[in-house]
Amino acid sequence: MAPSPRKTPADTPTTPGTRRALVLGGNRIPFARAGGAYAHASNQDMLTAALDGLVARYGLQGERIGEVAAGAVLKHSRDFNLTREAVLGSALAPTTPAYDVQQACATGLESVVGLANKIRLGQLDSGIAGGVDTTSDAPIAVSDRLRRTLLDLSRARSVGQRLAVASRIRPKDLAPAAPRTDEPRTGLSMGEHQALTTAQWGITREAQDEVAFASHQRLAAAWADGFFDDLVTPFRGQTTDGNLRADTSLEKLAKLKPVFGLGLDTPATMTAGNSTPLTDGASTVLLGSDEWAAAHDLTPLAVVVDAEAAAVDFVHGVDGLLMAPVFAVPRLLARNGLTLDDLDYVEIHEAFASTVLTTLAAWESAQFGKERLGLDGAFGSVDRARLNVHGSSLAAGHPFAATGGRIVATISKELHRRQQAEGRPVRALVSVCAAGGLGLTAILEAA
Amino acid sequence: MTTVVLPAVPSLGGLYARGAAATGRLAVARRVGRAPTDLPDVVHEVRGVRADADHLTEYQHLVGESASDRLPAGFVHVLAFPVAFAVMVRPDFPLPLLGLVHVANRVTQHAPVGLGDALDVRAWAEGLRPHRAGTTVDLVAEVRVGDALVWRGVSTYLAKGVRLAGRPTDEGARSDFVAPQPTGRWRLAADTGRRYAAVSGDHNPIHLSAVSAKALGFPRAIAHGMYTAARALADVGASRGDAFTWSVEFAKPALLPGTVTVRVAPDGDGSTTFAGWDARTGKPYLTGTVVPL
Repeated sequence: MAPSPRKTPADTPTTPGTRRALVLGGNRIPFARAGGAYAHASNQDMLTAALDGLVARYGLQGERIGEVAAGAVLKHSRDFNLTREAVLGSALAPTTPAYDVQQACATGLESVVGLANKIRLGQLDSGIAGGVDTTSDAPIAVSDRLRRTLLDLSRARSVGQRLAVASRIRPKDLAPAAPRTDEPRTGLSMGEHQALTTAQWGITREAQDEVAFASHQRLAAAWADGFFDDLVTPFRGQTTDGNLRADTSLEKLAKLKPVFGLGLDTPATMTAGNSTPLTDGASTVLLGSDEWAAAHDLTPLAVVVDAEAAAVDFVHGVDGLLMAPVFAVPRLLARNGLTLDDLDYVEIHEAFASTVLTTLAAWESAQFGKERLGLDGAFGSVDRARLNVHGSSLAAGHPFAATGGRIVATISKELHRRQQAEGRPVRALVSVCAAGGLGLTAILEAA
Repeated sequence: MTTVVLPAVPSLGGLYARGAAATGRLAVARRVGRAPTDLPDVVHEVRGVRADADHLTEYQHLVGESASDRLPAGFVHVLAFPVAFAVMVRPDFPLPLLGLVHVANRVTQHAPVGLGDALDVRAWAEGLRPHRAGTTVDLVAEVRVGDALVWRGVSTYLAKGVRLAGRPTDEGARSDFVAPQPTGRWRLAADTGRRYAAVSGDHNPIHLSAVSAKALGFPRAIAHGMYTAARALADVGASRGDAFTWSVEFAKPALLPGTVTVRVAPDGDGSTTFAGWDARTGKPYLTGTVVPL
């Protein structure tokens, strides 16, 4: 269909000829610690549960949604159509198309951005973005050599050929291969990579524990205030985020032993308390045009204004593995004529407490700003009162692909609330780092 | 200089057997004062060598390269080196094969080599010279496609304790290695030596098993130096370009299984410096550079 020209508020930067893409709501299941309440739930189970919760909350039973886009980072090959299968198992109309997305931990946010762009172009009137991950029900593969041998065996024509191929199988080939979180090109885990970045920027243990403490405090306060009551649907007896420790303290966090960066010259600072735990969970975000929202009597919460991806060469040590957003955000804000001071909220995914801190440190460094970002000086500072205001992944947990949807739904509701209270434009930045040296960032604005 | 044209690339396994026998003969000859003291004035040549696609894929996957139709510089070494090795097992070669240590390797890739190219390989020994620990020699292999020199490899071997040509003159002590910030880590499985032996043909017992390595004086099997060098070259990635020099010095052998902490990082001028070391002791296994031509 052709996009219908419509008047947008003067404060919303939009590309000429396109229309607004709105966040209309979201729903997730509580995030559970690995091996906890969702230990035997599959990715498809959890994504379906999150979808059905969204359907129930917004009255979408039997509705044909324009497209559902979601994904999982740890995905079994049989789940090649994970999102479509979840749609077929949900209360949405079976005529709802779907596709899978995968961009490591940026999967959820990329699903939002991709669907928002289709809505802006007029290709879609509505969409549901999502993400899910389970580390409890992770796919386990056969070893590469057994896999190749089995494939060769299936291609062998004669008995002799089959015997020759089968004789190549060695006992050790039968050991299963669990999914690895090591970066394939460096052999270092994400935590080990971040430990190098942490040391490079001289981030202290105390500063990291403070970020973790604030995350738990703020997430606990949001739960206590009922903020998540219309964003989360209980699942399998889990009613709040399983990793949340409302009673944690800086003293308790200070007692934990470092787990990453143990072999470096500098003291190790990264603990289980200031690093995200392995988590199971799923999230969804409902997106639509103004017309579709009006037709379905839904309140627009936020506009998806723009997005920018970046990547860094961590393989050769040029930048830290999780530092790509440091480069994406200056480009994104410059394109939209904004600075960090124009943002009312800054959501930086807490892969590790030190990821947030190294990101902020790079932006505050005049040298980095000049030499790496091509600016006149430091990019700027983020007021901590605006940062991860309802807590983030350290407290909520981080089911990889589900994190983007959690952040977008949470901050969209907050943007709407703030605008209702103050009657002025309110903006948020969302920043998610990801494996492979990737980063995805987006600007949302109260609708 | 004599040119010996071989009908095909010889197998390293057979050469090792001949080399072992030659080592024995050489020991006897040296005792009676009849051992050769100069390098043989000979070039070995094999024409029309072609890579096999499956062999190439196995090599590429093992060292961490994409299975492209372009031959990694280390794979050309695998194809060409046996021709040079054949020089080392000649009766008139002055150094004993058993106990030779690969201490350095320098490859100049002048132009890309493709899967379908017919390679003409010429190899000889040169540069017999004293070293503080014995005597070193360079095994040189050149690869041409048609008339064009596309690849040249110089493999430097040390014969420990062998004194042929006087005292070392210009070689001082090895410069002290200071472990830099790592960029990655290689976990070398126990079968790393056997797997590289399978693609390189280099079945030297020191790489194959703890038992066979012990027999030759190593506590466990050790990784092939060229395997670690090839992984470093793979880690450099596409920035190496079409033509480059790839130089490596091998310090101490990497025992298997084992972990090598690595840094592979650009120098800012287009070249890349790499190093692999033991994170516990800070001692290097290998250091080197990849410099675009």
